[in-house]
Amino acid sequence: MKNKLMHLSNETMNIGFVKKVEALSGSSVRRCFQCGKCSAGCPMSTFMEHPPNRVVRLLQLGQGQRILAGRSIWYCASCETCTTRCPNKVDLAAIMDALRKLSWDADGPSKESYVQLANRLFIENIRTYGRQYELRLGAAFNMKSGQFLKDLMLGPKLISKGKLKMFHSKNKNIAEIEGIFKRIEEMRKKGEAL
Amino acid sequence: MTPGKKRLSYSYYPGCSLHASGREYDISTRALFKALNVGLKEVPDWFCCGATPAHNVDELLSLSLCAKNLSLAEEVEGDLAVACAACFSRLKTTQHHLKGDETKRKQVEVAIDGPAALNKPVKHILEILAREYGLGKLEESVKKPLMGLKVAPYYGCLLTRPPEVPELDDCEDPSIMEDLLRALGAEPVKWSHRMECCGANFTLSRPGVVLKLSNAILESARIAGADCIMVACPLCHGNLDIRQKEIKEAYGAPDSTLFGNIFGSELHGGSAPDQRDLPIFYVTQLAALAMGVASESLGFESVITDPKPLLRDKQLL
Repeated sequence: MKNKLMHLSNETMNIGFVKKVEALSGSSVRRCFQCGKCSAGCPMSTFMEHPPNRVVRLLQLGQGQRILAGRSIWYCASCETCTTRCPNKVDLAAIMDALRKLSWDADGPSKESYVQLANRLFIENIRTYGRQYELRLGAAFNMKSGQFLKDLMLGPKLISKGKLKMFHSKNKNIAEIEGIFKRIEEMRKKGEAL
Repeated sequence: MTPGKKRLSYSYYPGCSLHASGREYDISTRALFKALNVGLKEVPDWFCCGATPAHNVDELLSLSLCAKNLSLAEEVEGDLAVACAACFSRLKTTQHHLKGDETKRKQVEVAIDGPAALNKPVKHILEILAREYGLGKLEESVKKPLMGLKVAPYYGCLLTRPPEVPELDDCEDPSIMEDLLRALGAEPVKWSHRMECCGANFTLSRPGVVLKLSNAILESARIAGADCIMVACPLCHGNLDIRQKEIKEAYGAPDSTLFGNIFGSELHGGSAPDQRDLPIFYVTQLAALAMGVASESLGFESVITDPKPLLRDKQLL
């Protein structure tokens, strides 16, 4: 992507997408003047094809699809360094959250499906058990990502140290948690929430 | 607390990790509070705050889960004490956002089917120890000063960032951990990576990222001459402690194969890198140790990088 010419046209410019990002994040993307401070402090920018400042620049140019097609948003660690240091108060961490939500909502798997898979399993655990069940999280991730042997040596060690519980009990108020998930789904269906 | 005032007492939100992979943080927090005679009562039926994955893809869900937890916390008296940096950050963020955004608050109230309780102060263990209990009183309570122990205080990301949310300390140059260590008689080292990210929850999806970032943190602490690292987050602890052996294997000394001999020494500036084990302590483990709590009740048996040789060496065991 780095050395390719970028073509801007009515077809590639999606201002509706940018407005959605601004509404979801509560942050303006137009305030950014490309000082690059966010990318300079970003611990993950070396893993990204578009470092944080370029993500904002692409948003300013209405190039949402370009961002969603890449893996930058899935390599953001949510460490908040960018938001903390931005001289123009662009909440980049919130913008990254909004972009991930839009990718999550879009059809088809994201390019960075490992992070998305981990997120999905984490949230499933909350809905099923109320709290995290780390053994299931790790095992399900390995099964579903096809990396059956990942961290294989770590499991028994952690179990012997008492750090991984073999069994997990559900929260007593699991019905209330299910209620929260259901009501959010309903609100979205009715268009009352983003 | 000045003498004559009511005894300090808190409601307590441990979070998921403290009941599993970070169990020694929970054990040592309870032991420390008992030793300081500060009350700690767990919020009944609390559930997961959603941590990073929830806000990563669904902010409304994240806010709602935290708001529900905050209203559960209302049932227990006292400000809410939180040990995990991620839970602390999420609960404070929820209060901050919902106080400032009427629309979001209304949506969350629909989701949790009740009013959002936003007024209970949420406090991290560090701030309870250093500010509410007080450094002076803490220093007076020390029974076994951590003399000669060089500690790299590691803040990580979420304890201080973004500045308007946690209100714990300066977001670029905090000092609360250093102050605490001095009060305990230990020596905080000056080092470069105290606020760098460890890779956080990429430990599940992209462990390679964690190995790279955590290696830089461990290296920096070693260069600064630290004997150990002190953390206040179960995820940081997991990445630095559980994966320390893997990190060494990935970034350690040049191997003795032909290629290793030819290229290895060059890569590492001509000398083998420092390969010392660095025990990772929770802030509550070190504080409790200084308060004279028996080491058996601090969960050292659950730690992967054994801290006992170091503690014996410094005559702290």
